[in-house]
Amino acid sequence: MSNSSVAAVEAARPAQKREWGIVALPVLVVLVAAFGVLMVYSASYYAAEKQFGDAFYFMKKQLVGFILGIVALLAAGFFPYRNLKKLKWPALIVSLVLLAAVFVPGLGVENYGATRWIGLGPITIQPSEIAKFGFIIFAAAYASEKPERMKKFTGMLPVLAAGGGICLLIILEPNMSVTMVVGLLMVAMLFLSGVKIKHFLIILLPIALAVPVLIVMEPYRLQRLYAFLDPWSSPQGEGYQLIQSLYALGNGSWLGTGLFNSMQKYRYLPFAESDFILAVIGEEFGYIGIILLFLVFGAIIFCGIRTAARCKDMFGFLTASGITAVYAIQVVINALVVSGSIPPTGLPLPLISSGNTSLIITMAAMGVLYNISRGGKGLREKKSE
Amino acid sequence: MRPLDRVAGGADFFMQKTSAFFEVNRIRKKSHTPAAGASATLLRKRLFAVSMAVVFLFLLIFGRFFVVQIVQGEKLRCRAIGQWTREIPVVAARGKIEDRNGTVLADNSASYSVFVRPNAVKDSNATASALASLFGLDGAALAEKLESTRVSELTIARHVDKSLTEELEKYDLPGVYYARDNTRVYPYGQALSRVLGFTSTDNTGLTGIEKYYDKYLAGMDGEIAYPADLVGVEVEGEAVYLPATDGLTVRTTVDYGIQAVAEAALERVYEQYSPVSAQCVVLDPNNFDVLAMAEYPGYDLNDIPRDDPELLNDLSRNDIVSDIYEPGSTFKIVTAAANIEEHLRGNPSAFSLQYVFNSSRTRTVDGTTIKCWSNHANGKHCSQTLAEALNNSCNPCFTDIALALGTETFYDYLEAFNFGKVTGIDFSGEAQGMLVPESSVRACDLARIGFGQTVAVTALQLACAAAAAVNGGYYYQPRLVSGIYAEDGSIAEEIPTVLKNRTVSEEASRILASLLEGVVESGSGNKAYIEGYKIGGKTGTAQKFENGAIAQGKYVSSFLGFFPSDAPQYLALVIVDEPQGAYYGSVVAAPAAKEIFQGIIDLKGIAPYENK
Repeated sequence: MSNSSVAAVEAARPAQKREWGIVALPVLVVLVAAFGVLMVYSASYYAAEKQFGDAFYFMKKQLVGFILGIVALLAAGFFPYRNLKKLKWPALIVSLVLLAAVFVPGLGVENYGATRWIGLGPITIQPSEIAKFGFIIFAAAYASEKPERMKKFTGMLPVLAAGGGICLLIILEPNMSVTMVVGLLMVAMLFLSGVKIKHFLIILLPIALAVPVLIVMEPYRLQRLYAFLDPWSSPQGEGYQLIQSLYALGNGSWLGTGLFNSMQKYRYLPFAESDFILAVIGEEFGYIGIILLFLVFGAIIFCGIRTAARCKDMFGFLTASGITAVYAIQVVINALVVSGSIPPTGLPLPLISSGNTSLIITMAAMGVLYNISRGGKGLREKKSE
Repeated sequence: MRPLDRVAGGADFFMQKTSAFFEVNRIRKKSHTPAAGASATLLRKRLFAVSMAVVFLFLLIFGRFFVVQIVQGEKLRCRAIGQWTREIPVVAARGKIEDRNGTVLADNSASYSVFVRPNAVKDSNATASALASLFGLDGAALAEKLESTRVSELTIARHVDKSLTEELEKYDLPGVYYARDNTRVYPYGQALSRVLGFTSTDNTGLTGIEKYYDKYLAGMDGEIAYPADLVGVEVEGEAVYLPATDGLTVRTTVDYGIQAVAEAALERVYEQYSPVSAQCVVLDPNNFDVLAMAEYPGYDLNDIPRDDPELLNDLSRNDIVSDIYEPGSTFKIVTAAANIEEHLRGNPSAFSLQYVFNSSRTRTVDGTTIKCWSNHANGKHCSQTLAEALNNSCNPCFTDIALALGTETFYDYLEAFNFGKVTGIDFSGEAQGMLVPESSVRACDLARIGFGQTVAVTALQLACAAAAAVNGGYYYQPRLVSGIYAEDGSIAEEIPTVLKNRTVSEEASRILASLLEGVVESGSGNKAYIEGYKIGGKTGTAQKFENGAIAQGKYVSSFLGFFPSDAPQYLALVIVDEPQGAYYGSVVAAPAAKEIFQGIIDLKGIAPYENK
């Protein structure tokens, strides 16, 4: 019987290790998030002092998110992840409802010409951050219920529909970059849930075609594309953001200017504490600092892949893969944007950029990942199942 | 039973490893049951593929950051530095202008400009009221401006005294700065005004030496660069001080003592004869250094009529270099020099010093009649030699010389004396005069050129030609500046004396000088005679042309003199434009030249000539 074989495997492994799972994962996540709090302060204290009269304005908010994030990480880390499977539909419906709520007048908060937040009193949350993980739970649960249906084109359509629906609502905000993240996440999850390559290509093609259409649809995206191709042609216009990011990185050189010594934070670099915080890190710690930071990011991703690879059930495998993928996708896109390798889009660097919804949710997701590495044990469960 | 087990056939679902990259779990190797779902092997392969994609993207990122931070880093940083700082100018002190003995003719008084950075101001009202009281501004308007302006820097006051900046220091106002800006000061006001020229309010030379030597005088402005944020608010960090390079000192050839003497003489003439202007140039005939270049009326360089551009243009024009006039009899020096030289060379057409010219008052050339200015009645201008012709300034004799030498020979001398072309003096706007081209000159033109008509010259051209006739026959390029000096007195650049060409031989020159000495001793130039000194000279009185016709009653009276005549050290040309009351050069100009020579004798303590 298969149950007995699971027990046999468990027994064969050192009990201690199974109990604790990959401890490096939560440790690295907390360290990176703590570094994020420090960098948010370094990147924002000057602007915060000038704008709000409080140098710690952004740092305090980030600190709150950091503490709540640790709580969420621990809670998720000791919450048996398999229970999440039951949340398949709630996760999807909550995600969609929250995304739709953005468009409800009075609830939606507009900023920089886009409605991406829900305002509940003093708290603003970003539904798209939640939706990413809602989608992972739904897709993992759906695919693992009956893996064979993923081999059929019609069988994988619900995953496609869920992902497409979420993408649609996000693109309406509009938020091109998160749409891209969810789209890539969907592609990765379909790929990892074992769809046939033929089917995979059939869905990949329209997505690839959708990107240029979406770009041409909004004139500002086209302008950003031009600005990306030659930022120096409009140094005070569309090219400004990218140029300032490159200035920061260039100023960093090998070893950087040192902590708190960024020149670009003096209001030259917009969104220095959020989407472009990597530029400030590159300026203050140089190329060496960037390499070390990305080795840490790589270690987190490696832990995630290892967790997925070691997982014995498909739901855990797909959830771990999805969480790792969404993290990796955001890290990669953010780095490519900051270094001017792809057209600028507003995407935070997960765990580091200021923004509490993203921070808390990402840390919670990392908690889930950690739980999967622990074999899905809850807090009081003993090593014998 | 769990769905997974049902599908993938048990716990071995994920046991097989595609790569050592993943943890190896070598419990058992069970043949997987290929059910409807994807095999574990396939999914692991796919996970491995995704991992490789991540690795690839990370390497791409490393490469990309290397390019931006290391390869392009320096270039980006250089571009960025410009935006990180706000600069306060440090104005270079403009170089001085000195006379040949080091007397300062143009200097600077230290003054300051006061600026405000509205962004850096803490309290607009207090700042505005303090600035308003110090610099006499409207406080309310300034406060309003500080609040509303989008300019990053406002200039509050320029050319402010040091004492005011000291007052300003006491207020210790954030956002308020001052920097040195220099006010040009001319210690002698009106002296040499048309030569020195003046500067714009931002210390750029606009006319005269100030303009011509601006590149040496200007220096290089420096700056203080403060690190600042996007909107110009000063931030932490060190200010970079880039010192200004002060301008260099321009040493002129002018002798201020002689200049002052000349200006006094011209002022006296101006008072007496109310001419349009009175001009004088004093040259050192041995190298054509300009020792004095004066024109009356001038203007006070410390109080320039900037709001009357027409007047300013008129007053700042250096007529000695830029204006041309018909010289009249002073030109006979050149004709005489040509004749003497040609005679010495054995040209049979030239007249010897003993030759007696025809006493007739008139000459008829090409059917036109040329008359002497004198009526030749009662034995005047009778049976003259060249010496006497010069003494009397008899026109027909010089007509005879010009015609006798012929166009080709005579034009060779006009060429050697550099008529019809610029002298090359270091001054902007030099006129080249007017000379009928050799190819189209008629005999009647040639006849008139002989005594200084049908030819137009600048005063400087004539003075140089005369100097080149009496100094042994050397034509130099005249100069106003002898060198450029650094602050420590070391020479930065020398303006050399340039010998352009020879004119006549030493012997011819000596003969001419002695003849001209006779003109002052016993001829028309006797009002320039100073007892005990060998002074040579020639008077000139020319009628003015206006619109192509002789302007009745308008004359240019002039006198060209030099001394000592056997070894000339000083040569002066005095020109009085449209004198009232009297008009003969001998009456109007010669006494002024005498005053100048007397002044030089007194100034230099030149002892009288002693007969051996």
